[in-house]
Amino acid sequence: MRYLSLYQEGNSLLHKIDPITKLLFVIIAILVPIIINTLTMALAFFIISTLLVFVARAFKRTLPIISFSSLVIITVLFIQGLFYLKNQTPFFTLGPFVFYKEGLLYATGIAIRIFNIINAVAVLIFTTKPSDLIEALVKKGVSPKIGYVFSSVLQIIPQMMSIVDTILDAQKARGLETEGSFTKRAKAFIPLIGPAVLNSLISTKERAMALEVRGFNSKKKKTFLNEVPYNKYSNVLQVALIAILVFSIIWRIISW
Amino acid sequence: MDEVIRVQNLSFAYKQDYEVLKNISLVFDKKSTAIIGQNGAGKTTFVKLLKGLLKPTSGEIYIKGYNTKEVSTAFLSKYIGLVFQNPNDQIFKNTVLEEVMFGPLNILKDKKQAQENAIKALEMVGLQDKMHIHPYDLGLSDRKLVSIASIVSMDPDIIILDEPTIAQDHKGNTIIKNVIKELKEKGKLVITITHDMDFVAEIFERTIVLNEGIILLDGNTREVFSQQEILKKAYLELPHVAQLAKKLGIKQTLLTEQELINFLKHNKLNN
Amino acid sequence: MVNLVVEHLKYRYPLGNELALEDISFEVKKGEFIGIIGENGSGKSTLCQAIVGLVPNFYKGAYGGKVLVKEIEVAQSDVSEISSYVGIVFQNPFTQITGSKLTVYEEVAFGLENLGIPREEMIKRIEESLKLLRLFEYRHFNPFELSGGQMQRLAIASVIAMKPDILVLDEPTSQLDPQGSEEVFQAIQDLAKNGMTIIIAEHKIEKIASYADKIILLHKGKLVDFDTPEKIFSREDIEEYGIVPPVYTRICKSLNVKNEAGFYPVTLEQVYYELVKVYG
Repeated sequence: MRYLSLYQEGNSLLHKIDPITKLLFVIIAILVPIIINTLTMALAFFIISTLLVFVARAFKRTLPIISFSSLVIITVLFIQGLFYLKNQTPFFTLGPFVFYKEGLLYATGIAIRIFNIINAVAVLIFTTKPSDLIEALVKKGVSPKIGYVFSSVLQIIPQMMSIVDTILDAQKARGLETEGSFTKRAKAFIPLIGPAVLNSLISTKERAMALEVRGFNSKKKKTFLNEVPYNKYSNVLQVALIAILVFSIIWRIISW
Repeated sequence: MDEVIRVQNLSFAYKQDYEVLKNISLVFDKKSTAIIGQNGAGKTTFVKLLKGLLKPTSGEIYIKGYNTKEVSTAFLSKYIGLVFQNPNDQIFKNTVLEEVMFGPLNILKDKKQAQENAIKALEMVGLQDKMHIHPYDLGLSDRKLVSIASIVSMDPDIIILDEPTIAQDHKGNTIIKNVIKELKEKGKLVITITHDMDFVAEIFERTIVLNEGIILLDGNTREVFSQQEILKKAYLELPHVAQLAKKLGIKQTLLTEQELINFLKHNKLNN
Repeated sequence: MVNLVVEHLKYRYPLGNELALEDISFEVKKGEFIGIIGENGSGKSTLCQAIVGLVPNFYKGAYGGKVLVKEIEVAQSDVSEISSYVGIVFQNPFTQITGSKLTVYEEVAFGLENLGIPREEMIKRIEESLKLLRLFEYRHFNPFELSGGQMQRLAIASVIAMKPDILVLDEPTSQLDPQGSEEVFQAIQDLAKNGMTIIIAEHKIEKIASYADKIILLHKGKLVDFDTPEKIFSREDIEEYGIVPPVYTRICKSLNVKNEAGFYPVTLEQVYYELVKVYG
């Protein structure tokens, strides 16, 4: 199926939780460690989101992202370990390089925060169909038009790619040599952009009419085919998540 | 026999284990040929294979002696042209003339000659007055005629039309019929995919019925339309005249109005 | 009961020099099956779009006269708001796929969700219309995975599910094989029998001849005639409007075989009946 999505079918606990709750979790997992800016808090959320990745059985799919960002993190470790401004206590030496405890700790803090965000987002995107998330947001009051833009883009971009394939075929069919060297292929590809764009503009106009006659701009209260088949505890979860956020804000204000 | 295309044990699958075409073997000479069959029978896939846009999963296709697996699609375009079903899929220039010149420019590399060919092709489809218009300012039916002209202008020996009569009114249909007749006279092989049985009966000498990836019938158009039981199995209709003749209890397979009129003028009905 | 009134409708596209529709008037009753014929450029699509209000509300341009659907003036209404009264199926099936739904089933739901149809009713209607258009077995497919013909049936199903009083179809069977278009015509005829008004622009002249109660003949934006298929196709000047009558009518014209009312027959059954009388 041509659809831009990282969602993977599954029946883990997290697949059963509604998209809004998961989205809330992502927001909180990002915000709370910023509001209460301590290493303990960052570590706590890192542990939670990592656990959730395992619960979602999404570890294998998250690993490539983690490994990729690890490259960056390692650089940070190096730089901060060597040159962090508050560096005082040497921790270990590697050849001519002296690594300091303060810098390493600081860099570890950054690493934990980044991994926390990656894991939290991974839990959401690997266990939620984008269309479900969008529909859930529309149900919560997000404009259906904005919802439509997001959900159609996920499908229509792959469609545009296939228009490009078709036009490429048409050019080959009319004697344009597109097999072979890079220049040949580039030469074939550039004149393609115009017709592909024109083609999709025309489709857009026609599609706008088709949407209109399907009541897209109707002022009636929208109903939904898909019911919320999710966990009945989601309200409790959502309240708890919001409470955590509120608490952390209060905590921050009190301990100013 | 004047062999133009040879298809040998051709099979094709887009996805593994799901063959769209199954072990097809046939030869095309210069007889104009209609390919008919239900939606999904594999007709478009088959012509894309002939054109070299797809390569056989197994088996061989020879176009004027060239194996489609061994030469590029662009090379083959000198010999075989395909008019796509949706003209929007093959239009990418800013004027009708440039559009029709695109093909001949690619193969001839001579601008003057290419322009001459393009103008001739546009005259053939009756669009010589609209040469400098943007193709998208034309209606869908005229755009289809542009796409036909842009293949005719390349002067290949084989021309394939995929559903040429969609969205055409009577005038457009007549133009297309005349183009096919003219190409036939020039000794070209014209192959057409269509759902319009009256069009098949009127124009094409040979008819091939594809059904679920195999050739169900292949022969002289009249013979094919006399195999009513088999056609029914492929969910195909008879041409309107043949339907009427059958209902009137006429044993012969009559295909055109004139044939039926003549029959009625000279014979009594048996019921 | 009249449920569509077109009165002196005139229209010119924003960049057009000539009128696309010129003083068109006609009335259609509930449950009638109306064909629109005419050569390309005669105004068929424009008329279809005027009936649902896309002309003038989507295209703007110069507009005069009235189109009344169930006594509502469409030019004064929002296209979306009247979509439960009048629906349209366009020619190009691909651009009628909303692109925001992942399955055929959900695609049909799109219009119903917008109209605020309760969920149980929605499911009932989706399944009915998918079965009617023989798409039920494809309900879990992504709409973009369908073939052109299947997409065309999906476009029809999606509009039918909205249960409009008037259904307008602009060449809805161009990509269907003979059996497929026959099925679509039969399905539409069933809807007409159940009271839905059908207005269909179509080049397949034999189909129009055998299914339509009445035919609107358009030429250069003008309504030339609005009458039964027998009368329309028996007109001596019909070919001047770029229309060739059904092959059965042509045969009868050549043989000068008319029915009792003095018109040429237009369908297989009619022509059989008349020919057997003369040649049997």
